[in-house]
Amino acid sequence: MKRLVLISTLITTLASFLPAQVSFERLLRAAGEPQNWLTYSGNLQSTHHSSLTQITPENVANLNLKWVWQAQSLEKFEATPLVVDGVMYVTEPPNTVAAIDTRTGRPYWIYQHPMPETTFVCCGNVNRGLAILGNTLFLGTLDAHLVAIDAATGRKKWDTKVAEYTHGYGVTVAPLVVKDKVIAGPAGGERGIAGFLAAYDAQTGREVWKFNTTAHPGEPGNETWAGDSWKTGGGSVWVTGSYDADLNLVYWGTGNPGPDWNPAVRKGANLYTDSVVALDADTGKLKWHYQFTPNDEWDFDSVQVPVLADVTWKGNSRKVMLWGNRNGFFYVLDRATGEFLLGKPFVKQTWSSGIDEAGKPIKTPGKSPSAAGTDAYPGVQGGTNWYAPSFSPRTGLFYLTAWEDYHTTYFQWDQDYEPGKSFTGGAARSPFQSIRRDPFIKWGPEWGYGVVRALNPATGEKVWDYKMRDVSDAGILTTASDLLFSGNREGYFFALDAKTGKELWKCYLGSQVAASPITYTVDGVQYVSIAAGHSLFTFGLGSTGEVRH
Amino acid sequence: MILKEVGLVALLCCCGTGWLGAQDHTNVISNPFATSEDIVAGERSFRSQCAACHGPDASGAAGPSLTTGTFRHGDSDEALFVTITKGVTGTPMVAFKLDGREVWQLISFLRSANVGKAAGQAPGNPGKGAQIFTENGCAQCHTAGKPGGFSGPDLTDIGSRRSLVQLETALLNPNAEVDPDYWSLRARTKTGQTISGIRMNEDTDSFQILDSSRRLLSIWKADLASYEIVRTSPMPSFKGKLQSSDLGDLVAYLASLRAQPSREAQQ
Repeated sequence: MKRLVLISTLITTLASFLPAQVSFERLLRAAGEPQNWLTYSGNLQSTHHSSLTQITPENVANLNLKWVWQAQSLEKFEATPLVVDGVMYVTEPPNTVAAIDTRTGRPYWIYQHPMPETTFVCCGNVNRGLAILGNTLFLGTLDAHLVAIDAATGRKKWDTKVAEYTHGYGVTVAPLVVKDKVIAGPAGGERGIAGFLAAYDAQTGREVWKFNTTAHPGEPGNETWAGDSWKTGGGSVWVTGSYDADLNLVYWGTGNPGPDWNPAVRKGANLYTDSVVALDADTGKLKWHYQFTPNDEWDFDSVQVPVLADVTWKGNSRKVMLWGNRNGFFYVLDRATGEFLLGKPFVKQTWSSGIDEAGKPIKTPGKSPSAAGTDAYPGVQGGTNWYAPSFSPRTGLFYLTAWEDYHTTYFQWDQDYEPGKSFTGGAARSPFQSIRRDPFIKWGPEWGYGVVRALNPATGEKVWDYKMRDVSDAGILTTASDLLFSGNREGYFFALDAKTGKELWKCYLGSQVAASPITYTVDGVQYVSIAAGHSLFTFGLGSTGEVRH
Repeated sequence: MILKEVGLVALLCCCGTGWLGAQDHTNVISNPFATSEDIVAGERSFRSQCAACHGPDASGAAGPSLTTGTFRHGDSDEALFVTITKGVTGTPMVAFKLDGREVWQLISFLRSANVGKAAGQAPGNPGKGAQIFTENGCAQCHTAGKPGGFSGPDLTDIGSRRSLVQLETALLNPNAEVDPDYWSLRARTKTGQTISGIRMNEDTDSFQILDSSRRLLSIWKADLASYEIVRTSPMPSFKGKLQSSDLGDLVAYLASLRAQPSREAQQ
């Protein structure tokens, strides 16, 4: 037995010295190699769940800091790292990639993308991560390029222009590799872009297919845009999608229509904004779509990660998609057909009185943005947002970070489009600064607070809540030992019992957690990593500061 | 990009001896687009480019208020120009794609939106107001340019940050608008001890407070039997306690407490 462990350790150790060779078959079976974290969401089903069990509810209180990676940038650190055979690949803002020795935290190499002096993305110069295929990493950049980087050396292999950054396009999303293609698209929903999702040949960077998220003339859905409003209609892409190999479908969430708060200038449903689109992975052809917020008036980007799960639905096993949307509703869709199965609010919301049988929301009169300002729930950052939700096949629960009792006053006015400039058609004022603040909590709790919320996917009913004083932009990781890891704006990283929500361990990291945690093993030992403030922290069982010589 | 840079350099050069004179705070760069028409144009740009984060009237939303007369990343026109065109690292304030004229017009609008801009026109006598300030013991709690108390807000540049109406309201009805920085915690521990003080910070588990003995205290919420956040001001109202002329003088004194020339200009 001991010898087996030794051999296994040797193999793992040797593997860490071999260049990463991540075939697409490995990505398809990512859940089967939990020692790694091979895609943005841990697997192509995007469950953000790991089968690792060394860290348990019983021993999680013994977690200690192992190492810290300090970014050189002061921008918000939203990235989820990849871990491949002992090497961590992480992006730090604006577009720097580091390959890190997971044993020590020391870098093997650092790649810095040459940036123009200024870029024009909305809301912060962030990047959310990488994809890998073979021995190549794929990075989206704020100047709207897609870059292929050699995973062994950090040298650039190719660089493809995705869109014109001076017109407000930028790539912040972690790309997704499907077969021999790299899929990504541009952010810019507040800049009047015409969004799209595109697949690029992983070897050459050549565009293979492109799906327009604001339907162009001649494309189905263009009739849902008044006049030429599709040209500046947003439909940004800024959070990574999922893939079902059996159906050969790529699923991706799309951003708000533009201008954000003035729907009068873009009458119609505005397809395919605020939607999930199911695309043929080989051709990019639309198989089905579901639009969460037709003719959106509140900036309810539907960029959330599509979580693919096989659940028992009314007595039968069904391939579904679980979706906690920024608009405050939790959805269950049939992911083969797009059929609407369930839509139920998971936070306080006032913009809709419900969803009809066809899956269309019924808007509440009087909640539209106005010149004098209109209050509506949820507020502009939504009931949830871009950070990872999780589904645990063990508990059967869907977990998400939610903003409860949170509202915004929405304003609307006319605005002319100018390329590259802000194009929002209004404004949004919340009771507290909703994107990023100093480390003080001063407002009244009646203005909103954060929760980690566990939902029963079959009903949308809340199973438990973990309530926080502040709101949170942290994603969720669950493990097969029924642990849940997340963090919050207060600066805590914590572990909960995934069955009950009971807090089991907590560590103050000194600044806002606005990222999603991952877990993996090094030399057969389980670790958990999370970005907070301007650094990435790695925790494991046992003491800090082990002597190695 | 290059064009914009050239535009900035050209505009700065147009402003005469700006850079050369930067060591003399009487001779800083002046805004070449500061007419009333420029302010109107600046307001138009503000609504389309800035209001989404800073609020329709610049009084703050996702981003901070821009009406207080002081700017975190530099108060001078040049500093504002750089903030708008380059963004602020580490914040959602990214670079904005505007030409030089638009930026200067925005700055002109921001100057006009300062709520304290008319405070210097108070009809009262600021000298007499200073005397009333001293006689009523205001300095026990407030600093106003010279050393004073710390338990109330610092009034050193209050005239730049508040309108005349706001100043008078604060004196007559201190509870009308109490900044959350001055909300206090009143709590009873599970062992029966009473705790109170200004709430400096809070999170899910704890409070950080400043008690009346000027001690910084850490409190676990789990140790408290009950607590409340008191949102009223400890400041007494001056309603009926001051003659209206004295009130006008006191307002005039507070209005005269202006922000210093910008840091950049003093260097």
